[in-house]
Amino acid sequence: MLDLRVPSGWFFTVLGLILLGMGIFAPDTRAALSDANVNLYSGLSMLVFGLIMLLLAWRASRRAS
Amino acid sequence: MKLAPVDYTILAVYFAFVLGIGWMLRKKMSTSGDFLLSGRSVPVWITSLAFIAANLGAQELVGMSASGAKYGIMTAHFYWIGAIPAILFVGIFMMPFYYGSKARSVPEYLKMRYDEKTRTYNAFSFAVMTIFSSGISMYALGKLLQLVLGWDFSASILVSAAIVLVYTFLGGLTSAIYNEVLQFLLIVAGFSPLAILAVAKAGGWQGIQTRLGAMTLAGGMSGKVMTHAWTYMGSPHSNPMGVELFGLVAGLGFVLSFGYWCTNFLVVQRAMAADSMNSARRTPLIGAFPKMFLPFIVIVPGIAAVALARMGVGYSIPLDANTHLPNYNLVITTLMAKFYPAGMLGVGLTGLVASFMSGMAGNVTAFNTVWTYDIYQTYIRKNAPDRHYLHVGRATTIVGVLLSIGAAYVATRYDNIMDLLQLVFGFVNAPLFATFLLGMFWKRGTGHAAFSGLVTGTVAASLTWCLTVAEGKGGILGNLHTFPSAMAQSFWIALMAFTSCFLVTLLVSLATKPRPEKDLEGLVYGLTKIPEDRGSWYQRPAPLAVTVIAILLVLNIWFA
Repeated sequence: MLDLRVPSGWFFTVLGLILLGMGIFAPDTRAALSDANVNLYSGLSMLVFGLIMLLLAWRASRRAS
Repeated sequence: MKLAPVDYTILAVYFAFVLGIGWMLRKKMSTSGDFLLSGRSVPVWITSLAFIAANLGAQELVGMSASGAKYGIMTAHFYWIGAIPAILFVGIFMMPFYYGSKARSVPEYLKMRYDEKTRTYNAFSFAVMTIFSSGISMYALGKLLQLVLGWDFSASILVSAAIVLVYTFLGGLTSAIYNEVLQFLLIVAGFSPLAILAVAKAGGWQGIQTRLGAMTLAGGMSGKVMTHAWTYMGSPHSNPMGVELFGLVAGLGFVLSFGYWCTNFLVVQRAMAADSMNSARRTPLIGAFPKMFLPFIVIVPGIAAVALARMGVGYSIPLDANTHLPNYNLVITTLMAKFYPAGMLGVGLTGLVASFMSGMAGNVTAFNTVWTYDIYQTYIRKNAPDRHYLHVGRATTIVGVLLSIGAAYVATRYDNIMDLLQLVFGFVNAPLFATFLLGMFWKRGTGHAAFSGLVTGTVAASLTWCLTVAEGKGGILGNLHTFPSAMAQSFWIALMAFTSCFLVTLLVSLATKPRPEKDLEGLVYGLTKIPEDRGSWYQRPAPLAVTVIAILLVLNIWFA
């Protein structure tokens, strides 16, 4: 059976990279009511989450084989 | 609101992943059981999140933030009182019968426990109801995207429906469940930053309390009514929801929520897809953990929005174009527009689209199973080879999606018909929990009794609506009582339905011939062996439930 941690891990890694890229290369993209670099922080957390999912899936597949 | 190319990219990435998951699962579908029941093989963490996500549709997200803006933190009762106790109950007490009976659907359990007519009543009302609720939610999403982004109504519902169709057609229930987990994670990722940003801007919870306090005091209620969930429940006139303690706890917390979480096949199906009895029982219990904290990301932004609107920082509650009254349904999207830059805005809106898809896929897969097994196999073609039912299941996916789209267009033409339908389904559903309660825990309950109880309950519910008035609705046969709010009225309608169904089922059971005990093995408490649980605390249902209750108490005391 497909290990769901793989596609969801990749999904959040890709999303995280897009937002992180926005946060780093277009740091002036800000919303009307927020002074924070929202893309940078949320991108970073999504990237970390995605990588953790991939790590867990990788460990599980190694244990299985 | 205008989207940047990066926002569309994120939406496209999401579409690619949900379709990809469906594509990867397509080969596993060789029997009707694989397609409609996931072959009972899904890991527990996945069923748990899907159990919560199937209920977390777009209407729920939009509606809960709107209620947060209108009623404050009391809205959390829909989660804490109105969901968690029922979720614990279905996991601990009812799942052994659902999963252990080997029934393939909730209506089929009714057939095994009672008789054919009780099942048919439930199967038909459920099938019609899922189509319409999927249609109504499609309509709501299409309207919202049209209003906020200027997207074409037909284009947005047809594209989202087509994507749901493709991935459920390819991978059946498994694909729907797997995608629901992805959708749930995306909803959390897309909505939680909004809660943090909006609350921080409004001066934290303290700042919100001060600002809303001034507002409710001016409106003649206590200054703390928007930020306290329990303190002002004594009288319906002292809180903005217009409900009182008994109506809330008995109506919402008992009848409505147990009726939904314990008998609605849409959610129960997720637990029944789990890989073992132990996993099936733990599915609702593990799902209860994230469920308890959802109010902080779906309700709190609505509360913060009202505070922000009073601060003169450049945010105001959007007004309806025709009535010029506040349109709270737009709170969540306008907040996103003000707090999310291009990029994160794409994630937020994709989260909204994802919630719509998870709700719709939930409806479609539940409809599929009930149609194929409870209606088609029972009335149209009985003893066909399994391959035939696999094809029927696949075809039903297409039909289900097409019917939902049809229902969405009906909703655009006849607003009132949809209101009426929702009301009628409310009547049909309200008594159901009494039927299940007596069916699972009282071996004397009989089929004739269950059926007459259900019919009486529905009649009692409609009579209550016809004889009472709230917010100008109901009372078409006279007015015996006026409720302070439509919500209070719906709680009491549910109570009347449950009580009358319970009593009638009880009395008719005693007057009719009981079924022999050997027919009821595995279906009723006392005649069913419940497997002993082994392992660490988190592998056993009871300690999990106790942990949930402890956290629930802390949350309720904190926000009392």
